Amino acid sequence: MVLRRLALSLALTTSVLAATAHTGAEAAGTLVWGMPAETDSLDPHATGGWSTYQVTYQIFEGLVKEDLTKADEPTPPIVPALAKSWEISDDGLTYTFHLREGVKFHDGTPFDAAAVKFNFDRFWNESSPDFYKKAKAFVIAYTKSIKSVDVVDPMTVKITLTAPNYQWLRQGLQSYGQPLMISPASVKKYGNDGVALHPIGTGPFKFVERDQGVKTVLERNDDYWGTKAKLDRVIFRPLQDPATRVNALEDGEVQMITTPPWDEIDRLKGEGFKLSTNKNAPYINYIHLNFKNPALQDVRVRKAINMAIDRAGITKEIMHDTGRPEYGMLSPGTDAYDPNFKVYGYDPEGAKKLLAEAGVKDLKLVFELPQYGTGELVETWIQRDLKKVGIDVELRKYEWVTYLGKWAAGMSPDVAMNEIGWGMSTPAWTGVVTRCDAFPPGGINSGYYCNKEVDKLLDQAIATRDPVAAKAIYQKVNHIVMDDAAYVPLDDDLEPVLLSPKVKGFVNPPEDWFDLSTVSVE
Amino acid sequence: MANFILRRIIGVVPVICGVSIVIFLLVHLAPGDAATALLGPQASEAAKQELRHTLGLDQSLPVQYLAWLARTLRGDFGVSIATHLPVLTLVLPRFGNTLILTFGSLLIAIVSGYVIGLLSALRANSLFDRLIMSVTLLAGSAPPFWLGLILVLLFAIQLRWLPVSGMDDVTGNGGVMDVLRHLALPAVTTAMGPAAVITRIVRTSLIEALGRPHVRVARAKGLKRSELLRRHVILNALPPVITITGLQLGYLLGGALLTEVVFAWPGLGSLLYDSITARDLPVIQATTLAIALAFVLANIVVDLINAKLDPRLREA
Repeated sequence: MVLRRLALSLALTTSVLAATAHTGAEAAGTLVWGMPAETDSLDPHATGGWSTYQVTYQIFEGLVKEDLTKADEPTPPIVPALAKSWEISDDGLTYTFHLREGVKFHDGTPFDAAAVKFNFDRFWNESSPDFYKKAKAFVIAYTKSIKSVDVVDPMTVKITLTAPNYQWLRQGLQSYGQPLMISPASVKKYGNDGVALHPIGTGPFKFVERDQGVKTVLERNDDYWGTKAKLDRVIFRPLQDPATRVNALEDGEVQMITTPPWDEIDRLKGEGFKLSTNKNAPYINYIHLNFKNPALQDVRVRKAINMAIDRAGITKEIMHDTGRPEYGMLSPGTDAYDPNFKVYGYDPEGAKKLLAEAGVKDLKLVFELPQYGTGELVETWIQRDLKKVGIDVELRKYEWVTYLGKWAAGMSPDVAMNEIGWGMSTPAWTGVVTRCDAFPPGGINSGYYCNKEVDKLLDQAIATRDPVAAKAIYQKVNHIVMDDAAYVPLDDDLEPVLLSPKVKGFVNPPEDWFDLSTVSVE
Repeated sequence: MANFILRRIIGVVPVICGVSIVIFLLVHLAPGDAATALLGPQASEAAKQELRHTLGLDQSLPVQYLAWLARTLRGDFGVSIATHLPVLTLVLPRFGNTLILTFGSLLIAIVSGYVIGLLSALRANSLFDRLIMSVTLLAGSAPPFWLGLILVLLFAIQLRWLPVSGMDDVTGNGGVMDVLRHLALPAVTTAMGPAAVITRIVRTSLIEALGRPHVRVARAKGLKRSELLRRHVILNALPPVITITGLQLGYLLGGALLTEVVFAWPGLGSLLYDSITARDLPVIQATTLAIALAFVLANIVVDLINAKLDPRLREA
């Protein structure tokens, strides 16, 4: 009898569960985005990484911003944001920003020159009581050019640089510490660490709540100064497991997923989900070749490695055409990128010949790489390609944080290659990894490549005001670096995003984060 | 009995200390650096060094450990390196969620294990029994994450009865029913292995008890079947079953941590995953401490139940 009652109650519970089933309910105008990783701190000055900027971009704005509402631009144009206009002095040293009137932070306090000064004091000015060390460590790529920040009048700010740098505005819009405007009142109220839980900016969406590991909820800012967002709410959900992301999309629990597993894309497209890609991703996947490794001293060996790898095979067979082969060290999301640039095509016979000329036999190389959820398919492919021309590659895999530390510390002489996916929407990024003064520690020229001519040209490029002339110099740099075969550019990812058919107005711009104010959900 | 409980609780202290030291060493011996992970590749060496200093990572290991211990004893678990949020506010709700999943699974494992085991024992060697034994073998050997994905495909994607992920509907208003719906699949997934083990133990134990002479005598005396089972069989078969069930509790806790990632259940498992990938030491320490504490306390509870059932154990 007891047993029967138990069985009955079990059956009842199951049927109640089934009966209440599947509301899957999205409220009108709510977008739920399944992300591959949890975001870290929502303090935009003291954080790095694109997955966090995908959230903070909606909440905060800077003096200028990249216009992410256009998919087909080669690089996102820089447009006014909290500064309605700005002038650059003839010597390129002084930037005068005229601030937008009537803008309020989400806490109701006004945005003005004092607020700008407060923010610069926080992430740059070590002598200010508002200075926050952690912020400076993140925003350093932008602040190292700054000499002074002055309030001219309540709506005008003047920033003086130490040397002309025409990539400076763009350098402030990359994914390591962004100089975005945080409400000074909120920092004073909640403290520097408190910004993480109380992120208050001026953007089209306001922060509502964050349940760490579960969701971050934003709602539309109805007092926004510009075109108001269409969505009522955006909910960011970390779903680390790729299969879980796909299941949640199919089940209607999320309407958008990023970093979908390559093998699932065709099937989901077949089921009516929309695939959005962008051909101008601001980064590339590439290999650093180690100039301290004895076997790589000969340029013919480095060239042979470049020629032995079938990049088109990788993007077709492994990435299912959601990637594209890359042959240079400029990311496609910059205006200097040339899609026809190709110094070394796939030529295994030519590679063998070069190795023979160099007198190289039985070459063994160590390749360090991080472990991703993709099972290192690309690296195994490279290992196979190099084996075909007579180079034995030993793959040494490390967990991500361990790998990042090793990569940033520079390769030891016994290691020949390591890899990373990186880039920026400014061509000045090439200098970040190729310059002689970017050797580790402190810099991230992980393979110790150095060519003084490259450094000279990079100095020239950054001080060149005319974008066309600057572009030509960056392209020349790219040519020299590849003539030296200092790196092995591999491919880029077309930033595949899978969307429910209910999502309208989504734009996949040439950047790692999106402007969600144009999106609506039916 | 009070003496027994006291002895068991005092025994917890060295275990927890040992666990915290081992975890502390493991995290520090692993290569990789919190400062690089946190500040990113562009940060200067000076900035990284300064951050290490602020976080106390530049001090010797014993000094760091003792400082952590002193803070922890005061109830101060520190602030997360990655998210700047107080560690307790991160760990406590996650701990609660893991307990919900663990106890949900435990309930399923016990109820299904005991019921099916009993039915199987009563019909030993019948077709039903043989079928159950094959199914439990399969369920006991399949990895939980694989089972989880299969269950999701069937009940969520195909039949659309249950949700795929999370603990509640992020766009809805929550409520107990909502959590129960979300709990169903992860709890069944986690419970499957332990349920199989419990079923087999219950069956074996009951078959053995059913064959004892006193049961045959009672049956010969004409005792009603239900009375016979309740008074002479089940009680006698219980001790090994309870011990095995207790051991399964540990397995359930471990299994829950894995299942959490597949179902995006916001428990300690996914928090641990996030904090390890960020080398977020304060969170790793607090999370592992919570897991160790739960594990040790669960074992004490099992010991207490066994001691209650078998007085000989109280003296041991």
